[in-house]
Amino acid sequence: MLFCSLFFLLPLLAMARFSLQNVPVIRLGWSTLLDKWSLSGVTKAFGEQEFRDALGLSVKLAAGTVVLTLGLLVPTAIWVHLRLPRARAFIEFLTVLPYVIPAIALVAGIKVIQPHVRWFLNSDLSLIPFYMVLALPFTYRSIDAGIRALDLRTLVDASRGLGAGWGTTLRRALVPNLRTAILSSAFLTTAVVLGEYTIANVLLRDTLPTFTAMYRGPEPQGSYGLALLTLVATTMLFALLSVLTRARRGSADVTSVALAAVKSETT
Amino acid sequence: MEGRTTGAALTVSPIAAGRAPRNWAWLGLLPFLAFLMLFLVIPAVSVFQQSLKNADGSIGTESMAQAFRGQNRDAFLFSITFSAAAAIVGVVLGALLAYAAATARRPRWLRNVVTSFSGVAANLGGIPLAFAFLALLGRQGLLTKIVGAFGYDLYKAGFGFDTVPGLITVYSYFNIPLMVLITLPAIDGLKTSWREASTNLGGTTWTYWRRVGLPVLAPSLLGGFLLLFANSFSAYATAAALTDTSRVVSLRLAFFLGGDVNAGEDAVGYSLASWMIIIMAVSMGLYWILRKRAERWQQS
Repeated sequence: MLFCSLFFLLPLLAMARFSLQNVPVIRLGWSTLLDKWSLSGVTKAFGEQEFRDALGLSVKLAAGTVVLTLGLLVPTAIWVHLRLPRARAFIEFLTVLPYVIPAIALVAGIKVIQPHVRWFLNSDLSLIPFYMVLALPFTYRSIDAGIRALDLRTLVDASRGLGAGWGTTLRRALVPNLRTAILSSAFLTTAVVLGEYTIANVLLRDTLPTFTAMYRGPEPQGSYGLALLTLVATTMLFALLSVLTRARRGSADVTSVALAAVKSETT
Repeated sequence: MEGRTTGAALTVSPIAAGRAPRNWAWLGLLPFLAFLMLFLVIPAVSVFQQSLKNADGSIGTESMAQAFRGQNRDAFLFSITFSAAAAIVGVVLGALLAYAAATARRPRWLRNVVTSFSGVAANLGGIPLAFAFLALLGRQGLLTKIVGAFGYDLYKAGFGFDTVPGLITVYSYFNIPLMVLITLPAIDGLKTSWREASTNLGGTTWTYWRRVGLPVLAPSLLGGFLLLFANSFSAYATAAALTDTSRVVSLRLAFFLGGDVNAGEDAVGYSLASWMIIIMAVSMGLYWILRKRAERWQQS
């Protein structure tokens, strides 16, 4: 147990030290241990125009992916639960497919069809549907779990019985009850997008992860600092998620959502 | 009364006897299915389509075979080896950690901390993770230097991020938590009453594990192995940031996609991807089956 905690903490500490302390390892010793700690490496990175562009792109991609994912999956999941219970096994199989086709193979496929759809792939935002695919196992599972915890049929019947159309039912009866699942999906998707490197790298896009990697050449400290920041941001997202899901339901939900964290693209 | 019951018994619902009406509800799945087709199925199928071409352009499996020869074969062997090794390490350490977390009674917050941390760590990004390990164990790494101060040169002893031990070290960072997450429910399913029964019948700890515990956990453990294997085999970002060796299949594929290819060898490159998909499909298929078996024990 102790070994494990050390194993998990040390790399993070080492990265933090490297990015925040301006002393090269060679000259590091007991006497220099407390020297020159500063945020200058990181703040310098913030000043780069390329960084701001990359960050902007990543944020846009994350937002777009979350919105489209929810827009596609919430109605689909509700539809399946209401009208097509027998399709559930099939859909579950489909949501596992993105594991079987690893990101690097997916991007190989994208390269194959690239000449045919250049008009689409020219936009940086074309990464969004592929990110949706990558996040699919997590997001669908989240939403599905949320729906299963509801009494869907009763809610829908009651709402429709009171005269609401589908839109109102969705907006005022179902979505508020699915808040936890929706938030889980959103957070997980954001984490995936902020960490996605494979597809962006091969397709030569400038997202936050690819920028961080590339920045290592000219400014190692800055890039390590950025990596640390990404880590901290993702961890906070997950911590927030934990708190939110635990507040609503028992531990089963946290485990199932976190369990859906079978490594995605972020490797 | 008699007549009525007979009459009721003879009445058969026409729907039950005949065909079920066509279910138009499947149309509702159209957006989802279309999305998947466009952005998942078509790229994947294209990969296979490209890999079934011979060097002269005709359809054939020559390229698929070529993808398993020479340097490619070495790459596959290396990748499968280190993925399996990393998976084993992950399974053993992860299962032990899960067991400790599940059965520890003091301190009480231990299990929650382990679960939450595992949830985060299992999803840890490729770039940040790689950088963290570079900072720790790279040539200029903190730990490298500390160990060096004791007179032991890590790199001269053969350590490196492009070796099996090196990769195992890094990959364990997300493999172990993943295993913990998968195994905790399974361990929870081991009822204490079984343990008590075994002891009552005169069995030792070893007997319990050999006859009850491990057989029940076996599907989960094997499934975990497959999952970790698939995870490690398909990882790209972490490896890419750590090393540029061409012995890792995913990196090799990336080099090919980046234009590092001889003329006419297109199909071989895509065959690499196809073989990756096939290996993943087999692993995940087996994992799925094992998980279904493991879930039997978790429904109490």
